[in-house]
Amino acid sequence: MNKQILGYKCKKCGHVQYPYHSRCKKCGHTEWRGFDIVFDTAPLPQDGKLLTFTHLYALPPDFEAVTVSFGIVELSDGHRITGQLKIEAPKIGMKVQGKVELVRQEGYTKHWGLVFYSAA
Amino acid sequence: MRDVYVVGIGITSFTRLDYPLAEIAAYPALQAMQDAGLDKVDHVYVANMGGGRVSNQTALGSAVVDHLCLWPVGAETIENGPASGASAIKTGAMAIASGMMDTVLVTGAERMNEVNSLEATDFVATLAHPMAERIYGVTLPALAGMFTRLYMERYGVTSRHLAMVAIKNHANACLNQFAHVQNKISMDGILDGKDASHNNPVIADPLRFFDICPVSDGGAAVILASAEVAKKLGKPLVKLAGFGQATDTHAVHEREDPTALTAVRLAADKAFKMAKLKPADVDVAELHDAFTILEIAESEEVGFFEKGKGHLALERGETALNGKLPINTSGGLKARGHAVGATGIAQAHEIVLQLRGDAKKRQVKDAKVGFTCNFGGFGNNVVCLAMVRE
Ligand SMILES: [Zn+2]
Repeated sequence: MNKQILGYKCKKCGHVQYPYHSRCKKCGHTEWRGFDIVFDTAPLPQDGKLLTFTHLYALPPDFEAVTVSFGIVELSDGHRITGQLKIEAPKIGMKVQGKVELVRQEGYTKHWGLVFYSAA
Repeated sequence: MRDVYVVGIGITSFTRLDYPLAEIAAYPALQAMQDAGLDKVDHVYVANMGGGRVSNQTALGSAVVDHLCLWPVGAETIENGPASGASAIKTGAMAIASGMMDTVLVTGAERMNEVNSLEATDFVATLAHPMAERIYGVTLPALAGMFTRLYMERYGVTSRHLAMVAIKNHANACLNQFAHVQNKISMDGILDGKDASHNNPVIADPLRFFDICPVSDGGAAVILASAEVAKKLGKPLVKLAGFGQATDTHAVHEREDPTALTAVRLAADKAFKMAKLKPADVDVAELHDAFTILEIAESEEVGFFEKGKGHLALERGETALNGKLPINTSGGLKARGHAVGATGIAQAHEIVLQLRGDAKKRQVKDAKVGFTCNFGGFGNNVVCLAMVRE
């Protein structure tokens, strides 16, 4: 199954937020279940358009690559997300398609996140 | 609420300092106490970001009191990322304003020379959103690179404008004996000449090496006091007339307009309102130019120039040392250096020097009103200060 990034849907007003906040940023609601805070989750779309990007040449010491590209993408439902780009010559406004991949390995900890490709 | 005055200042060189972190904080503190003519204070706030992780020194506030033999006064460490310095000043000012304290020592220090620059950048990146930014390898330069690209696209800022900020601030730092980087740079050397791409490689496209501040060690301190104490001490009267702070979303992508630095605008508004001043009243300012683009963007958000027009004022020379509104006369983070926890206090130090008329070769003539902007996170926690010479 394809991995997905989840948005957090308010139990009261239905607003979906990403990233996670401990209460709804729209209506301020917190849904308690015992000592737990609960949200419904809903997968975010993975297609959208590129808002801005950078190619970083000074990477954290755990990266082996010479450069990694990052971008902020406006997803097709209007949410924005930061991710890595695997696009040779990115352009602001271009259509992109994301895929959840291994984006960073710090020691034994593996981080998964969205990597965007050109959708053209 | 009582008025607050800055009655003493001290600073170290912002280079590489082979002293323990607590000594880097104690040294400017002693200078500031001497400057004020005080040998004790009612309270101590110490600003620092990396003590626990980089310098193996937690509870820095207590360590500094011990160095200064100031027991049994109360003390805390204030950690607010790169805005720790101005946060500590603001906290000290509230203590005086409330009437709880009559004199407060605020000192800040950072020591990063245990780690190399990639490790230091990785450490600072721990302030980014852990799940939405940091796991991707996003660092502060990466966030600044994305911000810059959008700013260029929307407002017509070019690499040349960014280089102009760097050239101006390097020139100012050459007049500051405490600055980290004291070498003149030129457009030819960093942008136009045949060696430019070698001298000034791309780090976080479109940002190049000379668009990014160095990682410095250093300390800076101020003594704050009530009006009654300040008048007794007989130093030139510099009033901390206003201070303001604001926050924004942790993840940059969550902001409605990713080119807006809303927290800068709100913090500046609060500081100006409290001081009963307008941006047009300011004679000299220190803005948080961790990246050259930030000097331009902050000069707009704090209200000096219209949004999208800051680079034009820079082009006209208005922000140069001999311009209408000199910005970063100390050299800024870009060239005075960025000793994270000390930076906001070093900004205040420069403004006090200017308002006292003690800035020597970089003195802004008749400076009466000064302003600082200390930018934490990538704009998610900002503290501004307004100071007035009486
Ligand atoms: Zn809600």
